[in-house]
Amino acid sequence: MTAEHPLPHRPVPVPDELSAAFWEAAARHVLTLAKCSVCGTLTHPPDVVCDTCGSTDPRFTATPVDGRGVVRSWTVVRQSFLPGFAELLPLVLVDVELVGPELDGQPDVRLVGRLLDGVDAPLAAGSAVRVAFEQVRGDVAVPAFELAGAS
Amino acid sequence: MSMRGRDRVAIVGYAQSPVVRSADRPLGALAVDTARAAIADAGLEPAQVDGFVGATLLPSSGGHAVTDGVSVVSADWLAARLNPNPRYAAGFQGLGQIPGSMAMAVNAVATGAADHVLVHRALHNPRGSYHATSASEFGGPMQWTAPQGFFGPLAMIALTYNEYVQRYGASREALAEVVVEARKNGARLPWSYWSGRPLTTEQYLAEPMLDDPICRFDCDIPVDGVAAFVLTTAERARDLPHRPVHVSGYATGGPPKRRLPAHWPLDDLMAAGAGMAERLWASAGMGLDEIDLLQVYDGFSPLVYLWLEALGRCPVGEAHRYVRDGGIDSDSADGDPVLLSGGSLGNGRMHGVPQLLECYLQVAGRAGERQREGVETALSCHSSPHLGGALIYSAEAHQW
Repeated sequence: MTAEHPLPHRPVPVPDELSAAFWEAAARHVLTLAKCSVCGTLTHPPDVVCDTCGSTDPRFTATPVDGRGVVRSWTVVRQSFLPGFAELLPLVLVDVELVGPELDGQPDVRLVGRLLDGVDAPLAAGSAVRVAFEQVRGDVAVPAFELAGAS
Repeated sequence: MSMRGRDRVAIVGYAQSPVVRSADRPLGALAVDTARAAIADAGLEPAQVDGFVGATLLPSSGGHAVTDGVSVVSADWLAARLNPNPRYAAGFQGLGQIPGSMAMAVNAVATGAADHVLVHRALHNPRGSYHATSASEFGGPMQWTAPQGFFGPLAMIALTYNEYVQRYGASREALAEVVVEARKNGARLPWSYWSGRPLTTEQYLAEPMLDDPICRFDCDIPVDGVAAFVLTTAERARDLPHRPVHVSGYATGGPPKRRLPAHWPLDDLMAAGAGMAERLWASAGMGLDEIDLLQVYDGFSPLVYLWLEALGRCPVGEAHRYVRDGGIDSDSADGDPVLLSGGSLGNGRMHGVPQLLECYLQVAGRAGERQREGVETALSCHSSPHLGGALIYSAEAHQW
């Protein structure tokens, strides 16, 4: 499921040298993690030094992942402090630990984003989710999640 | 016992302004008055205070302008108005501003960088919404969260606390005991914003959610208020008017696991908190069983659970049971009065000041009607166990 309607008033990310590749892939609705070119560890978000091997020249590359994850926590947001979210309230934010073959043996990678199924969707610690994208502007999409169900 | 830095520095005086929603004077004016009162309380003159330490975080995620002397008060700003030639003036950066600032002041006194150091904290409640922003774009770390709708400390603590709730089965009734206890104690304090206004369990349980499972009463209310403490060597302290309260040890959080901004996974918090606690006991040369009074931080009510568990007051996952049935009731002979200070929930958003103040007053024997018998050692904490820190105080100096 992808949100169909552009939401022009929501804030957008400002890509920088480290994040540009992530947002370029996100615009194509592809989730990527930053892979250190020295030790191969996947991380999010990228930083100037690799947390795992300590390289000061990690030359991260944006590596596509399948975007499956497990819900570790969630909250129902009933009051937003950001522009563009008032009409979406109440909304669910999920704290997701990504899982998948690319992440085997990696430190846990966690993302926080909206759960697009709505506040009445059945949710528990351990619920399976997969990444979805919200088109917040014509050329900008941000990652969110949806329940993966039994599939 | 080995000769270490502990107990070489003591708190010798304090002052605190009333804690109000909006002061009728600029924050800087309140800070200068409060600092002068603290210096006088210590039996000193401003010219004798040659060290200044403070922290300037305005903990709002909104777009408020920060102006020194108006919305924040830095150590430099205060020094310029009290002693323009200090030997040491420095600001603490980061969370856990009270243990962080106190540690810097202790080190400055212990090394002789300054003879008398004033530690202050000035908190401000800006006009308008504390957290709301009209930003249409986010660069830097916030680009990874705000466009997705994850913004501000309510969502931050809601995710951490719901992780706790799901894992350990904590109930809303248990958290009500925490908030009602803080407000009960805060209602008895003449300076508190909540003075004379306790909260009932029924009121708490009837309050709607903001970010489930967090409601308004789980959050401290933004205020204007200033507190100041004067520190000097244990030797000098013996000649000053009040019973010295020695700083026996401190610890601040280590660099936490790198995460998204304002993302506090429960396991990160508790793992780093355990390390912080180990450093604290090593620093003070004593353990929790030697602490007579423990004052935990409660800027968000679930932090009470996390501090009780990080410090080992109860097993991990058990704090929501520990607080039940009068477990932390300051009026019960069997209660562990960890919110005797009223905390931030019962005073207003004074950060770790209430916990430090209560420890100081109790160990110094200056707590008036709240004075408890036999408080020779105390422990205060601030912020979260992974990013904040804690301090231990003793009436007697043991090591120097």
